[in-house]
Amino acid sequence: MTSRTVEQSAIDRLKIAQKRRNRLYFYLVSIPLLALYGWFLWETEVSLFRLRRGLPWMADFLYRMVPPDFSVLQSALRGAFETFQIAVVGTTIAALLALPLGFLSARNVASPNIFYAVRSAINFFRSIDTMVYALLFVAAVGLGPFPGVLAVITYTTTILAKLYSEAIEDIDPGPVEAITATGATRLQVLRFGIIPQVLPLFVSYLLYRLETNIRAATILGFVGAGGVGFYIQTYLRMMNYPAASCILLVLVAMVMAVDFGSSRLRKRLI
Amino acid sequence: MIEVRDLTKIYPPDKLALDQVNLKVGAGEFVIILGRSGAGKSTLLRCLNRLVEPSGGEVFWDGMEVTATSREGLRKVRREIGMIFQQFNLVKRATVLENVLAGRLGYAGALKSLFGRFSVEDELLALECLEQVGLAGFSERRADTLSGGEQQRVAIARALAQRPRVILADEPTASLDPRLTQTIMDILKRINKEKDITLIVSQHQLEVAMEYAERIVGLRSGRVLYDGSVSDLGPEAIEAIYGGEEGRDDQSNSRTVGH
Ligand SMILES: Nc1ncnc2c1ncn2[C@@H]1O[C@H](COP(=O)(O)OP(=O)(O)OP(=O)(O)O)[C@@H](O)[C@H]1O
Ligand SMILES: [Mg+2]
Repeated sequence: MTSRTVEQSAIDRLKIAQKRRNRLYFYLVSIPLLALYGWFLWETEVSLFRLRRGLPWMADFLYRMVPPDFSVLQSALRGAFETFQIAVVGTTIAALLALPLGFLSARNVASPNIFYAVRSAINFFRSIDTMVYALLFVAAVGLGPFPGVLAVITYTTTILAKLYSEAIEDIDPGPVEAITATGATRLQVLRFGIIPQVLPLFVSYLLYRLETNIRAATILGFVGAGGVGFYIQTYLRMMNYPAASCILLVLVAMVMAVDFGSSRLRKRLI
Repeated sequence: MIEVRDLTKIYPPDKLALDQVNLKVGAGEFVIILGRSGAGKSTLLRCLNRLVEPSGGEVFWDGMEVTATSREGLRKVRREIGMIFQQFNLVKRATVLENVLAGRLGYAGALKSLFGRFSVEDELLALECLEQVGLAGFSERRADTLSGGEQQRVAIARALAQRPRVILADEPTASLDPRLTQTIMDILKRINKEKDITLIVSQHQLEVAMEYAERIVGLRSGRVLYDGSVSDLGPEAIEAIYGGEEGRDDQSNSRTVGH
């Protein structure tokens, strides 16, 4: 009985020592991290004081935005519609391009070499944002909606390919096995065993990207790649705030309408 | 009709799932492969149509070496061998008819079938197969709206649509209750008798095997321990297949404990 208590207290002592060591490690890691974070705050000039000093200016800004100047409504609508068109064309073409890429970068479909090559390429191109692509394409093909469409296609293709490949990797392998066993070709297995499982997901991803791309496409105009962004930028530069606010209102209405329609469609799909 | 010689399967890195299995199955037989979980039943059935690639040995189909044939040859063999699974393996979002039609893929024109178009004969055959498993009128239902027993009958219809000479059934009743087990085994037996289709059915339930089998192949740790008629299956054979050291099949380390 005594030996048991001795043993027990030895274990307790070990546990306490362990706890102290853990606490030491915690401080050793967290203090430098906090210091690092403080440095980041300093470098980015985050300052509540400056924010407070800026508040009246913001209020003034908002004040000057009302009432919106609806005489520019027509160009607002035209610009917003062009943004919508850029997003729709870009997203649909990307959805098609992403199909083969999605299959080629799915571990359970593609052979290992192809899988690694395609997946690396996709990851590489995905690390660059739509806006940067827009700058590149404006330089390459000139101003207008076309470089905007190209930018949307490039980025969206990579992101949809990734989502597609993940959906494909998550499928139930059972039906694939069953269809292979009937003597079907690999294409038939794809068509009858895999696609029925992933198609609703694919469409849902497409709609979701469409929503995101409409928002992304609004600023494409800032770099001359078409759409409503051009008007926002111009009126803000001219300090014509009532006109700018009219355009923003149109934009908000469009984004909300598309989000509403698309999320209802997506709910029905799954 | 099917002959297996020294069939061996090693799953990487070193799991010996089949150990030199020899087996001959003739036309019209009803064979039950009996064994505990992990004995290698699924592996054996899947090696017959190379859903699992054997590591050694040969499989012959009517004297033709399945294990050496080309991809095209393999497809021709596969379409004559229907297969049924424990989890039914239907395409859940597709209709019952579409699932049964999948059984025709091995025969359908490649391009046409990719557009989802099948010949009228194929559709009629699919409906007829559904009728044979008692599911007339179910053709337009989505597969995932069916009960387990019904789904398994659709899977049987899909196998029948292949007009197979053999059906491999991998624990077709393991996810069903006893009453449905009866229904499914009865259907399989009837197919065997009326259509003269050879059936190779794996089972882990001894009672079911005793009730339906003519011939039993007892499997344990990837080895055939018994191959003979039901009536000759004595207590020693049953003990050899089921009893003894717990966990020998399950890769557990119970053998290192005790002794
Ligand atoms: N893909 C795999 N990789 C590695 N080991 C595997 C694989 N598939 C099966 N095994 C192992 O091979 C052995 C035989 O498996 P198998 O599935 O053929 O057994 P079974 O008799 O069908 O069992 P159950 O009744 O559980 O389905 C088991 O020990 C299993 O763990
Ligand atoms: Mg199994």
